[in-house]
Amino acid sequence: MGSLPEWMAPADEGTALLVRKAPRVSRAVRRGLGGIVGIAAALLDDGLPAGRRGWLGRVDARAKVLGLLFILVITTLVTTLEPLALCVGAAWALALFGGINIRRVALAMLAVPAFTLALAVPASFNVVTEGAPLVVLCHLGGGHWGPWRVPELLAVTDRGLFVAARFALRSAACVSLASVLAASTRPQDLFKGLRGLGVPSAFVMVAAMMTRYLDLLLRSAEEIHLAKLSRSLGGVGVAREQVWAAAGMGELYRRSRTVAESVAEAMVSRGYTGEIHTLRQGRWSWRDGAFVAGCLAFGAGLLALG
Amino acid sequence: MDKVFDFRGVSFAYPGREPSLREATFDVSEGERLAILGANGSGKSTLLHLMDGLYFAQSGDVRAFGQRLTPDAVERPPFGPLFRKRAGFLFQNSDAQLFCPTVEEELAFGPLQMGWKEEEILRRVGDTLGLLGIGHLRDRPPHGLSSGEKKKVALASLLVLSPVVLLLDEPTAGLDPRSQGMLLELLDDLHGRGGLTLVTATHDLELLPHIADRVLILGEDHRIAADLPTERALGDTGLLLSVNLIHAHRHRHGGMVHSHPHQHTRTHDHAHGGGEDHGH
Repeated sequence: MGSLPEWMAPADEGTALLVRKAPRVSRAVRRGLGGIVGIAAALLDDGLPAGRRGWLGRVDARAKVLGLLFILVITTLVTTLEPLALCVGAAWALALFGGINIRRVALAMLAVPAFTLALAVPASFNVVTEGAPLVVLCHLGGGHWGPWRVPELLAVTDRGLFVAARFALRSAACVSLASVLAASTRPQDLFKGLRGLGVPSAFVMVAAMMTRYLDLLLRSAEEIHLAKLSRSLGGVGVAREQVWAAAGMGELYRRSRTVAESVAEAMVSRGYTGEIHTLRQGRWSWRDGAFVAGCLAFGAGLLALG
Repeated sequence: MDKVFDFRGVSFAYPGREPSLREATFDVSEGERLAILGANGSGKSTLLHLMDGLYFAQSGDVRAFGQRLTPDAVERPPFGPLFRKRAGFLFQNSDAQLFCPTVEEELAFGPLQMGWKEEEILRRVGDTLGLLGIGHLRDRPPHGLSSGEKKKVALASLLVLSPVVLLLDEPTAGLDPRSQGMLLELLDDLHGRGGLTLVTATHDLELLPHIADRVLILGEDHRIAADLPTERALGDTGLLLSVNLIHAHRHRHGGMVHSHPHQHTRTHDHAHGGGEDHGH
């Protein structure tokens, strides 16, 4: 081994540190990545066994998938606002009184409909959806602007408001039902439930593996980012950051491929020959039957309402 | 004793790379404890993959339980499933080995692929979980477990098939001292009472006396450098130095700095020029 160069002595601090402040984007990436890892870890497993997720948690995953999926399909068939509002209310009631952790689902159940409503706002104007004006926002004077016809006035129409409200309520119902299912069912039970309902084992296995390795992938991404961060003294400019991001993605791809190859080898090593065989499902209890019956009755009621 | 593995002049190279293994000739008998020792990249893992029928020799002959290992042979019944049942491979990376949604399904995976009856599978799963003291993990997803727990589950997923031979790739890597101790005791038990054949790839010299009676040493040229009883291998400093398993590096004794080849895991005495003898 050669001798240590002079500048490597611990006392040497003579080299000027030409540090620029880390750009906002980099700091946002840092915080964002940490947040995603945390959320994913919480979603994949909050450590609660099935029995500690309230009465809804004790209902068999197959019954929940079947019952809630039926209601979800009904929400795409009904055309009036009342049944959709009723469905959103029922999902909130299940979330509140089903014994699940409401904090885990409240954000999704509130934020997604609000975002959808914001997207649906343009549909309420007469320029998108014709109808009787309810609120006139301004007079445009009519005529033509290039190839386009300019209306007399810009207004919120009754028909437009209905379309926007139906869109927002429908998405609220779907998101709320999906949130309730996700919060009351562990991923591993959900996959078992899907298999029990006849979804081909290969599909379920692939979905389960994606969930299984999402955590590992995110941790790898975080590791790569932290490794870079530990040697970063400040901002290096957007172009350099982009080069680093591309290299990081490449490394992440290489790591995922290595794991994927090892997983395939581990499967073959334990007898996998191309056809997946899995455990059979347990029997349904009266609670599961009652849940499905309740969902069927509720869905039929929604359909009857409109 | 019957031969479990018989390698004759086996060579293997990954596509587009230099050979990872050159002309390996050795055999493993039933009930033996063999360690494959070598520096990083010497071909230890490749050798285990060849033994488990995951890679296939490009030249030479690999036999397991008397049958030649070819892609066709390990897929076709009756030998294929029987071979998979008899040979269990513990991967170095437990995350790669544990791919099922729950620990129970992880253990049941192998037996299910063998087409065993579900009642029998569940009974064996319960027994194996009990044997390793991980019954409380049965319903848990593997990704949330600690490294030690993952290693136990990975080992359980092999033991549930009641294998004849266990191929272990750096089994104690990344484990804390308590988990390492537990694993070594368990392996000792499986060999002593269960008569299991153990083949362990490692570069950890400290581990050797606990896991092997015989050592196959791979050199950095990817050839077998020696095939010796463990005690003799550990005592041959020249051999270990030549295959990069021990090293000479500078160290201090008070104010004195000197350098000589040594293992960190074994005690030894030596003398300095000034007549000051001491031991490490």
